[in-house]
Amino acid sequence: MSGTPNSERIGRADLSAEQQVALEALLFRLADDEFVHAERLTEWQIYAPTLESDLAIANIAQDEFGHARLWYDLLKRLGYTEPECLWERDPTEWTHSLLVERPFGDGDWADAVLRGYLYDVAERIRLEAVADTSYAPLADRVGKVLEEENYHREHAVNWLERLTADDDGRGRVQDALDELFPYALSLFHPGPREEDIVEFGFRTEPVAEMRTQWLETVSPFLESLDLTVPEPDEVERPDERGRDGTHTDAWTELYDEFTATYHELEFETPATLRATEE
Amino acid sequence: MDLETVRKRAGPREFGPADDMPERYRTAATRMIQFHANSEVMGGYLDKTFTRKAPSLDRKLANTAKVQDEIGHAQLLYRAAETLGVKTRAEMLEELANGDGKFLNCFHYPVDSWYEAPMIDFFVDGGAMRRQATLKSTSWTPYAHAMDKICFEEGFHVKHGESILRELMNGSKATQERTQETFDEWWPRILQFFGPTNDESVHDDFGRAVGLKTVTNDELRNSFLNMYIPKAEKHGLEIPEYPRIYERDDGTMAVREDDLDWDEFRTISRNEYEGSHEQIGSRRRRQEAVDWVRKSLDSWESSAGTTPRAAD
Amino acid sequence: MIWEVFRQEAPGDYHEHVGNVHAPDREMAKLFARIQHARRMQTNSLWVTPREEIGEVSAEDAAFDGRTDKSYRWAMTYNEIDASFAEEVADSESEQREAARKRREALRDEGNEA
Repeated sequence: MSGTPNSERIGRADLSAEQQVALEALLFRLADDEFVHAERLTEWQIYAPTLESDLAIANIAQDEFGHARLWYDLLKRLGYTEPECLWERDPTEWTHSLLVERPFGDGDWADAVLRGYLYDVAERIRLEAVADTSYAPLADRVGKVLEEENYHREHAVNWLERLTADDDGRGRVQDALDELFPYALSLFHPGPREEDIVEFGFRTEPVAEMRTQWLETVSPFLESLDLTVPEPDEVERPDERGRDGTHTDAWTELYDEFTATYHELEFETPATLRATEE
Repeated sequence: MDLETVRKRAGPREFGPADDMPERYRTAATRMIQFHANSEVMGGYLDKTFTRKAPSLDRKLANTAKVQDEIGHAQLLYRAAETLGVKTRAEMLEELANGDGKFLNCFHYPVDSWYEAPMIDFFVDGGAMRRQATLKSTSWTPYAHAMDKICFEEGFHVKHGESILRELMNGSKATQERTQETFDEWWPRILQFFGPTNDESVHDDFGRAVGLKTVTNDELRNSFLNMYIPKAEKHGLEIPEYPRIYERDDGTMAVREDDLDWDEFRTISRNEYEGSHEQIGSRRRRQEAVDWVRKSLDSWESSAGTTPRAAD
Repeated sequence: MIWEVFRQEAPGDYHEHVGNVHAPDREMAKLFARIQHARRMQTNSLWVTPREEIGEVSAEDAAFDGRTDKSYRWAMTYNEIDASFAEEVADSESEQREAARKRREALRDEGNEA
């Protein structure tokens, strides 16, 4: 998958303080995106249009939680605990994009499918940009995640092709596109330490380059479905940026909901359920 | 096939879609499997709640995986019910949304706290698993086949539920007390899960005569008590004084059924309980909200989207 | 055209794929299937279906379960919990253990080839 042999990569013990700060910023961004995307997607579980589509979207959400866990596990190896990554981390320190925190309207399956598509394409580009990372433990995990992401993208593409085949469906997907597009652009907002991340080779592409690749992928596909893609430089951008810790109100509500039981129970450590037989 | 032959032949996996089953058998089997399928869906409305509340990332993963299994079970069961030729899946789902579909009593009580997770995932699922294991020997083969797959998966659900209970009962004193309070509230509902005594159960005799069921409600409830009371006590839960549990001559446990509120149970079985309105209303609203998607899929299916059927 | 044939040995069994027949239509396919696939084998029922109506998921795609750790959905992960109190829970766990073993072996074989 990658051209760099592991022996030439950086291990955990080799990280300088500066490198570690940059690496953590990258990992939190990866992990937070996956976690919050999954948290929103699970809202569809039980509420999807058919039993089969319910299973599919819930399984995708489960995969994304699993990916978040892979990235948080890397942070744990750098000294963080699960509560520090998730449960006790201030909501203004989360660096996910705005796209994944947006609430779903009742029955807005067009949003669910389109959001999945916009996200999955970005996810693939980002994973490919870290496939050749200089940090060995990260490189080890990319392949596992890419495999599962293929199904996600196929799922989204198939749904979009079918929903846009009739006028009603296409209208709904267009509405979702107009609504989500400005938030989706926040996927490529450079977060803290962007220059260091690229400089140290943790990611081999700068976000600006990833943004271009993303636009070159999603625009022609969406236009082929007779959808009008907003002009990226002309859309009205939200005040919040996501990557810098500023978020829409929907995020605070979501954060309060998913951390409430953790705080109420005050267990010493969050339960882990990992492989016991290998 | 006449009813007499059905009774005579009745046995595990004896009948299938190729058999010409009498109306009464098909109706009874449809009622039973539809009830079971509906319960998987409506159980999901409760269990879904716990994904967002889960106090660890791994518990969140386990819960969302479990709810997938339940929807998967519903899919298998509606298909098994369809093989009887009485109702289509769309009709059964329509009945569920409009309040005509029946489902397990426990799923008429909305949940709102993590303390309720083990009540559903350990006790209710444990009870369901008791019943489902006996249904592997039902006489309607497609139902038994669905049960093979369902029973394979359920072991994780029950252990996951017990693991949550164990963690709560090892928590702070306040957590233990809240768990006990929640158990006190759920315990009578769990006991009613198995339905009324046999002589009150309208459909029970026929179901057993034609092999759809192999075990009585009483037998199931009593074996459940013998297994799950020691488990509850092991984790430090106290069994409430009422309904009274007593030991029978053979050393097994049973419940004094007069101590249970059968009026509430019957209100629930007519879908007229307060919680029934809430749960069914939620199902209806959620289904209506995505009606446009199903219409869109139907129009795709009937247009050029599908491959042409092979000619006969 | 080609028709795929599924045979059920006894009532209550699953229909399992046993082969195919060439036939111009469904009636002829059933006639041929009876001879080709049921003449010597104990048979309770046969299904025939046009081959082109079968959609196949490749081995690679079927492994969509991926490589990430999903132990949380297997009963044996909950090893602090004793399943032996209820036969059906213990049965489910041993079936799951067997299925997980097969998955691990398949993944290992794949890893060796790579």
